[in-house]
Amino acid sequence: MASKKLRRTGVSADLCERLKRHQVETCQDVLSITPVELMRLAGLSYPAALDLMRLVSKACVPTVSTAWDLWKKKGELCFSTSLPALDRLLQGGLPRGALTEVTGPSGCGKTQLCIMLSVLATLPRSMGGLDSGVIYIDTESAFSAERLVEMAQARFPEFFSVKERLLEMASRVHLFRELTCQDVLNRLERLEEDIIACRAGLLILDSVASVVRKEFDTSLPGNLTYRSNLLGQEAAVLKYLSQEFCIPVVLTNQITTHVGEKVHCPQWNQADVSTEEDSGFVTAALGNTWSHSVNTRLIVQYGDAERRQIVIAKSPVAPFAVLSYTVQREGIRLEGNENPDSVLNQGTDPGLQPIRVRTGFIYNLSQATPFTC
Amino acid sequence: MHRTVPSLPLAPSVKVKLINAGFQVASDLTDMRPLQLCKEAGISQEEAVEVLQMLRDDGQPHQQRAATESLTALDLLHQEQAQGSIVTFCSALDDTLGGGVSVGKTTEICGAPGVGKTQLCMQLAVDVQIPVCFGGLGGKALYIDTEGSFLVQRVADMANAAVQHCTLLAEDTEQRQALEELTVEKILSNLFLVRCHDYVELLAEVYLLPDFLSEHPEVRLVVIDSIAFPFRHDFEDLSQRTRLLNGLAQQLIQLATQHSIAVVLTNQMTTRVSNGQSKLVPALGESWGHAATQRLILHWEGLRRLASLYKSPSQMEATIQYQITVQGFRDSPDEPRPVPDVSAVSSQSGNHSKRPRMEDLS
Repeated sequence: MASKKLRRTGVSADLCERLKRHQVETCQDVLSITPVELMRLAGLSYPAALDLMRLVSKACVPTVSTAWDLWKKKGELCFSTSLPALDRLLQGGLPRGALTEVTGPSGCGKTQLCIMLSVLATLPRSMGGLDSGVIYIDTESAFSAERLVEMAQARFPEFFSVKERLLEMASRVHLFRELTCQDVLNRLERLEEDIIACRAGLLILDSVASVVRKEFDTSLPGNLTYRSNLLGQEAAVLKYLSQEFCIPVVLTNQITTHVGEKVHCPQWNQADVSTEEDSGFVTAALGNTWSHSVNTRLIVQYGDAERRQIVIAKSPVAPFAVLSYTVQREGIRLEGNENPDSVLNQGTDPGLQPIRVRTGFIYNLSQATPFTC
Repeated sequence: MHRTVPSLPLAPSVKVKLINAGFQVASDLTDMRPLQLCKEAGISQEEAVEVLQMLRDDGQPHQQRAATESLTALDLLHQEQAQGSIVTFCSALDDTLGGGVSVGKTTEICGAPGVGKTQLCMQLAVDVQIPVCFGGLGGKALYIDTEGSFLVQRVADMANAAVQHCTLLAEDTEQRQALEELTVEKILSNLFLVRCHDYVELLAEVYLLPDFLSEHPEVRLVVIDSIAFPFRHDFEDLSQRTRLLNGLAQQLIQLATQHSIAVVLTNQMTTRVSNGQSKLVPALGESWGHAATQRLILHWEGLRRLASLYKSPSQMEATIQYQITVQGFRDSPDEPRPVPDVSAVSSQSGNHSKRPRMEDLS
């Protein structure tokens, strides 16, 4: 919309010519200058310059709707995650048209969650899916097709007992491997065609942080702003895609150590955290600006011995909440949430929420189950 | 009339020709006829007519107009007391702001991520619709969303809670009648929504706002959530960004006073590193700090959410605690309020302000 050429907006031809001589050709160029500058460049009087601004604005302004129009399409606003307690808190599931970030230490289950969501998206609507394709942009080469198939069979055994359905599900997940920042950005900017071609209903980017942290050393001057700009651009493109196609976008992030005073944690988050006063604590990576850009932030972290926890750290609809889960063959399984804490109207800054990392290794010496095909 | 010709709002080519023909000051042009001006300056007839019309608007009548248009502070006092404010349902915050978010001013809400800026904006968009007999403004709202955080389920919950709250307060027949019309559907239908994806669409929307507000004169609140996101990543030339933001701020203040609406902007926080220490400051630079009339900063302190009034021409700086519940933006239960201000919302109609009134000035 912003790059609409002026001659298509109803501006007179000689005015277009005059402006073209000063490299003002699109709506964006006109609106990026002040009316006084436009007066000078176009040779118009002040009221005429304002009229021109209004004419150009009419050409690229988005349409006005009401909240009631949005409410009438209520059924299409969320993507159910098939985890009932999580869906209940998020009032339906992951929001379509907004960015959801999953962050946490390595090995906690972020990629598992992404693979599970990919399976769910391909299911027919009667089973709670989106009946659509999935675009999976993988920057860490962590996606495993075998795991996808295993999870599908374990989670929905009767549905996927028919082999054709399994093959169809696998053919609907489109994988793109991008290994540098510029590649990721280029891919995102050309993604509209892919989304339409694959009829995608879910977009997963796993992970945002790995490419960015490989290439930008933030201790060097200037790199921090450059990195923030790049992330801001990625966020803007993703938001545009998610809103235009009304699809959920899931991103994964990593963790970093924040050196500073410890943020006070709520009671149930404190159990084993060691209280070293002056060491830093672990929190989500990519900084404060990125925390603003995502709409929903889910933190996965290690709980006690075998259980892990999913924390809703930032959400426009859900309160701050913690759910326990484990990773099984069929993906993520919520357990131990029979007595959910009463809704606490507290929280912490999602950019500074401390995350618990693995403090010990449990050697599980049970027999590995043979892979059944 | 000593205005010089170069300072007139005319097209540059016309000005050059006038100056070359020897017209230096506006008074040189006052008694000219169009054809004469046309021949002497070498401009076209339409341009000559335009020049003279502009001068006529600028001339003697302007001075007379200036005399009658000046306001006394007394007029302004009556105006300010008549204009209402939009309650936030958090009485501590309403007290700090002097009744609520005031109409006719721009208010900026800055805060860290997740602290509740969008929640407050959505709450205000619902609260502006509370009928006049309940102490509200009974107006509509325009929500300009640049981030995609507007989720309609949440607004529906808040609208529901607001209707419940009013139902508990309804005392007389007028209020009960108004209550019948106040449904969640009506509240959602009166909430206009625009989704802007970049700064160009945002600027276009603001240029067209005067037309929109003339078409919808019941709109009393315009929310831009957030103004920071589109301006933070696309600009290499920061001075251009500052120019555009200043222009935007001026337009918004003009809209607020001319159409008597409340303008609420949301800003983000950025990290500033100084002396090896980093702290969070409002984004968009130092000069943006002057743009809004009132500035509210929402921040975390441990587990609590606090709101600080940072800049206001009429209220004192203060910090209060609030919380976000299922019903929306509310007071925190930790700070005891003497009596729930139920009566304050349905106070005598006409007195919306909580500032101490001066009895003899009326």
